[in-house]
Amino acid sequence: MTALPRRIIKETQRLMQEPVPGISAVPDDSNARYFHVIVTGPEDSPFEGGLFKLELFLPEDYPMSAPKVRFITKIYHPNIDRLGRICLDILKDKWSPALQIRTVLLSIQALLSAPNPDDPLANDVAELWKVNEAEAIRNAKEWTRRYAMDN
Amino acid sequence: MFVIHFHAVAVESEGQRLILDREDDPRPLRRLRRVVDEVGALKAILMDELIVRSNESGYPVAVEAVIFPSTADDTLQQYVCLTLVVELPPGYPDVAPVVLLRNPRGLDDSVLGRIDREVKEKCESYCGQAVIYELIELVKEYLTSSNLPSCQCAICLYGFREGDHFTKTQCYHYFHSHCLAGHVTSSEKSYQEELDKLPAWQRSQHAQSPCQVLCPVCREPIQCDMNLLSSAAPPLDVENARQFELSDELRSLQRQMASLFSHQKRRGGIIDPEAEDSKLLLVTDTVEQEGQDDPPGPSLLLPPPTSQQAVHQHNSIGTSRGDWRRGGCGGFRGRGSSSSHRNRHRRRHHQAAATSR
Repeated sequence: MTALPRRIIKETQRLMQEPVPGISAVPDDSNARYFHVIVTGPEDSPFEGGLFKLELFLPEDYPMSAPKVRFITKIYHPNIDRLGRICLDILKDKWSPALQIRTVLLSIQALLSAPNPDDPLANDVAELWKVNEAEAIRNAKEWTRRYAMDN
Repeated sequence: MFVIHFHAVAVESEGQRLILDREDDPRPLRRLRRVVDEVGALKAILMDELIVRSNESGYPVAVEAVIFPSTADDTLQQYVCLTLVVELPPGYPDVAPVVLLRNPRGLDDSVLGRIDREVKEKCESYCGQAVIYELIELVKEYLTSSNLPSCQCAICLYGFREGDHFTKTQCYHYFHSHCLAGHVTSSEKSYQEELDKLPAWQRSQHAQSPCQVLCPVCREPIQCDMNLLSSAAPPLDVENARQFELSDELRSLQRQMASLFSHQKRRGGIIDPEAEDSKLLLVTDTVEQEGQDDPPGPSLLLPPPTSQQAVHQHNSIGTSRGDWRRGGCGGFRGRGSSSSHRNRHRRRHHQAAATSR
């Protein structure tokens, strides 16, 4: 394996030294391009109190191409599908090499605060979010309580 | 924004009218004149480079100018700049002006902090006197002495060393030439990939417009000389690659994450991609056949680092790849038969939901 780019080393160190509130990311023992991530559900969102595990992988040509990120913990959200895949423009065509692991994770946390059912990935969830938001939020809270709580 | 051209006569009458209109105004005419004179003199020196903002009575309330280092007007040699905004409170010059440093380019926070401190000191020591020209000179001197981008390259996150080749974009953002070359190549590659995905009749339309590279920081279109960029050596700091080591802190965080994972797994809270994927297989297959003309979108599933399962998972993604982007996200909508794709997508989810109950 080629040496790990210093940019990745620098990002890893900075994530430790100046952690982002509500977000922790730690590289895997055997692959420093693979990060274990926990994002806490934002306050005043149906995901509040949840600890969501994600995986984040930096491809060979990172930062020229976007990290690959996926939820591991189940989550009821119109822009996240059953496989945990996330609908977020900066992870695709709006990626820029000036973005970083921390900015990506912050954007994902922001997506939890602001679900967007008009640009859905999980269609059944988005449908309910549009026709009966109250019930959708109840579901999201219930999933958070059932799957994403620590105790 | 609006630029005023001062005339001695206009200034005279303006000042008098102001006083006549507002008899309770404690400001003496003399002070008004001084401000108008100061701004008028600056305007004569800096001409269009100075923007003057005035209130309804035509009285100057703020001036601003983009300041560059002194490089004998050779703009190619100017690597830093900032916009100096001087707001003139009613009591100026007996009251210090409010100075704002806006749109800094090529300057990191520590340099900006130093400029800001010196500006404040200058304002205090010049209290009661005309200070705007002094401030412009002060900032200009500072920029001339640190006319090397002191920020980081946003692509590699390292600074600029003596001997590094770097590029200044039209929007005054800085990158190592080597790093920017990588960005240009990568942008061109994804542009070509997007182009290849289009049906032939659309492709010929788009083929005329060349790839427009955007600034990684502000997304403004930028022009690059690829021959120049690609010949540049990698940045010095990045060259000295260091081995990565896990600290104790990271290890303890790893343990916390592992225990959270097993806790959530026990409660059924962990997504099982294999199980989810096999629920989708039936429909996915038909989609794959029908959608042959559409090239695969990006796969978001990750190859986890080790384990046998990882390989299996990764392979199984291949079968569902073509299906990934039909969820209605990203820049893929509005092409081909997207509505039927959407319906299939919904059916697929519906089925998945049914199986899980």
